[in-house]
Amino acid sequence: MAFDVSTEQAGDIAVITLSGELDANAAGSFRSAVEEAAAAGPKRVVLIMDKLQFMASAGLRVLVFAKQKMGTGVDLFVVGARDAVLETIEMTGFHHSVIMMDEFDASEIENY
Amino acid sequence: MDSLTVPGNLDSLQAIRDFVLAAAAEAGIDERSAYKLSMAVDEIATNIITYGYGGSATPGDVVIQAGTENGRLQVVLEDTSPPFDPFSRDEPSGLDAPLEERAIGGLGVFLAKRSVDEFRYEYVDGRNRNIFVVNRTTT
Repeated sequence: MAFDVSTEQAGDIAVITLSGELDANAAGSFRSAVEEAAAAGPKRVVLIMDKLQFMASAGLRVLVFAKQKMGTGVDLFVVGARDAVLETIEMTGFHHSVIMMDEFDASEIENY
Repeated sequence: MDSLTVPGNLDSLQAIRDFVLAAAAEAGIDERSAYKLSMAVDEIATNIITYGYGGSATPGDVVIQAGTENGRLQVVLEDTSPPFDPFSRDEPSGLDAPLEERAIGGLGVFLAKRSVDEFRYEYVDGRNRNIFVVNRTTT
């Protein structure tokens, strides 16, 4: 399924919603979405992944890029990642650096 | 043995994964193992296309074959880019390191090796051959 990404800004939270298959071919548009979100200087970045069916290491590299682009003070939340995607995130140790959540909870993210 | 030939560009990745998932379904491989196999093949195909063929305007082809034997599914990726042995690279270090401090690279091969039961590489007759094997699980 084709990759799709959309970005919205809610106060100082940037919400990036991913769907479909995130491979090396699609990573560029994810990276652009991160750059777009970073431009607004958010305090928190939330990646909604419940409709993401596939993620290759190219997607992980964009997570690294996001973390480096936003700066250490900005927390990265990964919400609703499916088991297969979650397993990749854990296998590569990325779960130590992002905050994993099952469901989007605005107040929990706000107060984190 | 089923086979598929696609041009060596990133637009072909989807077709490669679809081929692998279809072969895994036909071989009775469980969903989780099928996903991991498709990821392993995708990662190596990405490296072939990105580094092997190096974004050439006229890249060579990637040939993918799948077949079962003794309850094991074997997938072979073949390309005619310069010899590249994925085992010649060091494993990425610092998987526990914060993302801010990470070097970007080597993760694809790392994931590929850990996502199948067997992963081999050979260079035969001017072709790179990356071979992935998954055992059928009885659940």
